[in-house]
Amino acid sequence: MTMTDAMLALIAEELGRIAADKGEVLPPLTADSVFLGGDLPIDSLDLATLLVVLEQRTGQDPFRAGFRQFTTVGELAALYTVAA
Amino acid sequence: MTGGRPDWMHPAFRLIEGEAAFGWPELAALPVPLGGVVAADRPSRVLATLAAAERAGRGLLLARGAADPAGWDTPDGFSVTLESSGTTGVPKRIRHDLDRLRGRLRGSGEGGARWLLTYEPGAFAGLQVMLTAAAAGALLVAMPSGGGVGGVADLARAAQRHAVTHVSGTPSFWRAFLMALGPAELPLAAVTLGGEAADQPLLDRLAERFPRARLRHIYASTEAGALFAVTDGRAGFPAAWLADAPDGVALRIADGVLEVRSPRAAPGAADPDGWLSTGDLVERVGDRILFAGRLDGLVNVGGVKVSPEVVERRLLAVAGVADAAVLAVASPITGHLLTATVVPAPGIEEAALRAALRAATADLPPAARPRALTLADRIPLSAAGKKSRKGTV
Repeated sequence: MTMTDAMLALIAEELGRIAADKGEVLPPLTADSVFLGGDLPIDSLDLATLLVVLEQRTGQDPFRAGFRQFTTVGELAALYTVAA
Repeated sequence: MTGGRPDWMHPAFRLIEGEAAFGWPELAALPVPLGGVVAADRPSRVLATLAAAERAGRGLLLARGAADPAGWDTPDGFSVTLESSGTTGVPKRIRHDLDRLRGRLRGSGEGGARWLLTYEPGAFAGLQVMLTAAAAGALLVAMPSGGGVGGVADLARAAQRHAVTHVSGTPSFWRAFLMALGPAELPLAAVTLGGEAADQPLLDRLAERFPRARLRHIYASTEAGALFAVTDGRAGFPAAWLADAPDGVALRIADGVLEVRSPRAAPGAADPDGWLSTGDLVERVGDRILFAGRLDGLVNVGGVKVSPEVVERRLLAVAGVADAAVLAVASPITGHLLTATVVPAPGIEEAALRAALRAATADLPPAARPRALTLADRIPLSAAGKKSRKGTV
């Protein structure tokens, strides 16, 4: 597994948990899945939650120095430099 | 040199600080730093320096952390300047004269009492406990590191060893103290809460755990001084006090915020009519006025103003929760987000607890529900014994 693959797996795991807490089931994620494009049963609060959890899991906050643009799962995964 | 015992210290007063014991002769023999700035890390040092500064008729700065005289001009005449525990990182210095500090003391005339110091000796509340014990000729039990909540286990051991009878602390301290104490017996006669709003589940646990103790929670603020003590074991205060409050205080609610008029307010803090905003949000529930967080504690989560404290109180009321902290953390998506750390009571099953916690906030707007719920052994507290309200904002 590459580092980005590991990050994708971590994002899928945690986003699946966040969706499950709302009673939703997450469809299979790919690097091209768009977070807030309407295909995933999540809203901006869920996405904000994901970033907090990813910081807890990886110890990294890629947004500390300011917002960085991302729309897809793959783009977010690429912001983290170390596999969890 | 050994000066005379100050008039605010009863001859019977004793201080136990870890393994060391002090009466006035031992305190008077302690070296006193020159220059009027002292690191307020030990009660013995604070009391000795206080007495020396009063005798010399000069001002004293009780520094939290390093005793840095930078920016400090020793005032003429005796006064005591305290550094607030400011959450912004820069401590605010507030000057008091001893009469004003002592004027706030009430119910202190109990000789034979054994006090536990849970606050830092350089904090306003810590100084009040020390002066109360000193004036009453009581025994004061302290740990050398001061209160601070990292040392709750040490304080619990010291409390048992010296069979303390009087303990005053923040609600956050009390939750941690109950956990550290376990089932041990403690002959408490007085249980006092202050510094944060006391919640009903904690008051109930304290009443059950220490049925013979007088239970009271105190409402005070830096500007308004000590306002009132609530002694009926219920959270908040009686709504009837809006018409007729005790101790010369008047209370009213403006835009959901508690305003007070008090003879003990700091000069210049109030408006020309004497009213002072406390910054505390309140709500009326039946015959009771309950605290609902700080006005300046509201955080914006995706455009919705939410109160971490209100959410925290919800979590604290869940069965199986020993302690809980709700923090606002910065979010690049929603501005802020509430996160929760929960300390489970012993023997609680995690999945059931998580479900109960979710249920306890299910009726709140989604922005006000805590996300990223973490279970932990303890809640880290600030030096003032309060929960650090904001996380990485």
